[in-house]
Amino acid sequence: MAKPRIKVLSDEEILEIHWRSLSILSKVGVKVDHKEALELLKSIGSEVNLNSRVAKIPEYIVKEALDKTPNIVRLYYRDGKRFIELYGDNTYFDVGSAAYYYMDYKTNEIRRPVSRDLAEVAKVADFLPNTHIMSTALVPSDVPEIIADRWRMYIVTKNCTKPIDTGAFTLEGIPDAVKIMASIIGEENVSKKPFMIFAACPSPPLKWSELTTQNLMDCAKYGIPAHIIPMPQTGGTSPATLAGSIVQSNAEVLAGLVIAQFTKPGSPVVYSGSPTVFDQRFATSCTGYIEVGLISAAFSQLAKFYNIPSAAYTMVSDSKTVDLQSAIESSLGALISVLSGINMAIGSGMLLEENCISLIKLVIDDDIAGSTLRFAKGVHVDVDTLAEEVIREAGPGGLFLKHKHTREWWRKEHYIPRLFDKRTYDMWRKLGSKDLNTVAKENIEKILKEHTVEPLPQDIEKELNETMKNIAHKYGIKKLPEI
Amino acid sequence: MLSGKEELLNKLKEAAVNGDADEVTKLSKKVIEIGIDPLEAVEKALITGVLELGEKWINGEAFIVDMIAAAEAMKAGLSILKEEIVKRGGSIKYRGKIVIGTVEGDIHDIGKSIVASLLEAAGYEVIDLGVDVPAQKFIEAIKQYNPDIIGMSALMTTTMLKQREIIEAIKQANLRDKVKIIVGGAPTTEDWAKEIGADGWAPDAASAVELVKKLLK
Repeated sequence: MAKPRIKVLSDEEILEIHWRSLSILSKVGVKVDHKEALELLKSIGSEVNLNSRVAKIPEYIVKEALDKTPNIVRLYYRDGKRFIELYGDNTYFDVGSAAYYYMDYKTNEIRRPVSRDLAEVAKVADFLPNTHIMSTALVPSDVPEIIADRWRMYIVTKNCTKPIDTGAFTLEGIPDAVKIMASIIGEENVSKKPFMIFAACPSPPLKWSELTTQNLMDCAKYGIPAHIIPMPQTGGTSPATLAGSIVQSNAEVLAGLVIAQFTKPGSPVVYSGSPTVFDQRFATSCTGYIEVGLISAAFSQLAKFYNIPSAAYTMVSDSKTVDLQSAIESSLGALISVLSGINMAIGSGMLLEENCISLIKLVIDDDIAGSTLRFAKGVHVDVDTLAEEVIREAGPGGLFLKHKHTREWWRKEHYIPRLFDKRTYDMWRKLGSKDLNTVAKENIEKILKEHTVEPLPQDIEKELNETMKNIAHKYGIKKLPEI
Repeated sequence: MLSGKEELLNKLKEAAVNGDADEVTKLSKKVIEIGIDPLEAVEKALITGVLELGEKWINGEAFIVDMIAAAEAMKAGLSILKEEIVKRGGSIKYRGKIVIGTVEGDIHDIGKSIVASLLEAAGYEVIDLGVDVPAQKFIEAIKQYNPDIIGMSALMTTTMLKQREIIEAIKQANLRDKVKIIVGGAPTTEDWAKEIGADGWAPDAASAVELVKKLLK
C-alpha cells in the first residue's frame, strides 16, 4: 500500500550535502569550547588548535561515528513498561520545551509561568491521545534559576507518565537528571529504560558551547538519549539559502555525533533540528515560515540516509495568540512532519518563536496531530475495505447506514476529532455558538477536573522528593514551591 | 444471584444495545419458549436498552450507526414477540404512530431514514413510505394507518416546495385536522414550516424526536 510521503531532496542532492558537510568539517572545522572534548577529538585523529579551540574532523572519523550510532531510539514511559520507538517513518508529537512565557488559558494573558502551570500542562499532555511526548515545557519563575532545569524535570515526572523531552541549563543538569530518573526506575535501569531525552543545541555557525558539549558527553556516558538540535537562522547565523543552512547544520550534527560516539560507542542520538527563518524586516527568528518545513524535511531525509532517528521543531507558531495563523502554521508543520517521516515532531502548544506555551494551542495541536497521523496512514485497500459485496447488497439508491460493515469500519477508517466542530449549524447554536478556542478552553478545564495521572508508588514518590530536596540543598535552597 | 428470567432479559437487552439482530431473534424465541411475559420482555429489555443507547448517542458516546443497528435489532425482536403478545390478548403500547417519507421528486433517503430509526428507538411505531412520495400516497397512508403525525423530508430547495403542495392536498382531502404535520430537511427553516402551515420543524434528527415528543404530550 502506497503511503503518502514527500521528499524534498533527490538522492544525488543528499550525497552532495553530505560531501559538502564533510568538506566543511575537515577544512573549516568546528569550534568546541570544551577541553576534554577537544582532547578526545585530537586523540582520534582530528586536527585540533587548542588556542582557537577549532577541531578539523576528517571524513573517516565521521564515518566511524555514524557506524557506531544506533538506528532506533527507545523512549520509555516512567513506568518502565510502555515505550515508543523513534525510527523509520513513525511520527510522535512532542510538546515544545523550555518556554520562558506561559499563556494563561483562563485570561489569555502572557506572563511568566509558575510551577503550578507546568504541572497543569503535564497533566493535560498526559491525557492527550495524539501528544506522545511531554517536555519540560515551561521555565517556572517561582524557583531560583540555578535549579529551574531540574525542578522542571521533577514537576513533569510527577504529573505525567509519558516520555519527557528535556534539557539541562547547567553543567550539573544531566548527572542530576540521572538521579531523578534513578529514583523512579532504579539506577541500573537508567540506560536501559530512560524516560527522558535531552536537548543538545550547537550554536550556529559551527560551534559547540561548553555547556552543550558537557551535556552531550554526559548523556553518552550515562547511555541516555540526546537529540542534537542545530538552529540555523537563514541569513543570520547560517546562509540565506536553504541548502547552505542544511549543509552547515548537518556539519554541526555530525560533529556532535563524533563527540557522542567517541565518548561512548552506541550512544543513543537523534538527528534533531530547529531551523528558523531570520526575518530581515523585523530581525526575528521565525519558526512558522514554510521554509522551516522544507529544512526540517531535508533534515529527516539526511537522518534516514544516515539511518538514525530524526526530530524537528515543526509545531511552533510565530503567532502571538491562538488564532488562524497559529493553527495554520501548526497544521502545515504537522503534515510536513508525518509526510517526511520526522520521528519527533516537536513544538506542540508553542507560540512566540518558541518562547511561549499555550494550553489552548496544545489541545488544538493534538487534534491537528491526530488528523495528520491519519492522513499519513493513507488509503487502506483490501477485500474488506473495497467493500464490493457491501455495495452490491446496498444496490443503486441503497443506504449503508444499516449495514454491519458501516458499524465495523466507520470508526476504524476515520480520525474522529475531539474538538473540531462537525455538528449542524443549529446544534452548534444550541450549544452556545462556541468558537474553537472556547471549546479548547472548556476541554482543558474538563481534563484538569476529570483526568487522573497514574500516581507514583508511595515509596518511589518519597525517594523522588528526597532526590529533589538534595539537589536544592546543594545550592542552599531550603524552600521549594508547593505543587 | 439473578433469576433465569432476569438473566435472559439482561442478555436480550444487551443484544439489542449491541445491535445484534440475530441474537435478539434467538433470545426472543427463548422468551416465548420458557413462558416469560413477552410484553415485559419488550418493555424491560428491548425498549429500555435502546432508550439507554439513545441517551449515549445524545451525549456523543455512541454513533448513529449503533443507534440504527439497535433499532433494527429491536424490530427483529418485536416481530417475534408481537405475535405472542397478541395471542395473550395484549398489545404493544407505542408512544405514538408516525408516517414518514421524502417528498415527491426527491430521492434523498438518509436523513429521513435516520429520523425513522431514532423514532423507532424512542418507542414510536413508524411507517416509512420511502422516497419520492407523492401527496396521494400520504393521503392514503393517513386513511389506512390513522397516524398521529405525518413527517415530510425534502433535501432540495426545489422539492421543498412540494411540502406546501402536500399539506394543501391533505387539506383538500379534509384530513388536515386528523394529523399533525412536521417538516424537515437541509433547506427548510422554522419560518418555512410556519409559512406552509406545518405543526412543527426540526433542524436535525435528534431534534425531530424531541419535536414528536412535544407534539404528542
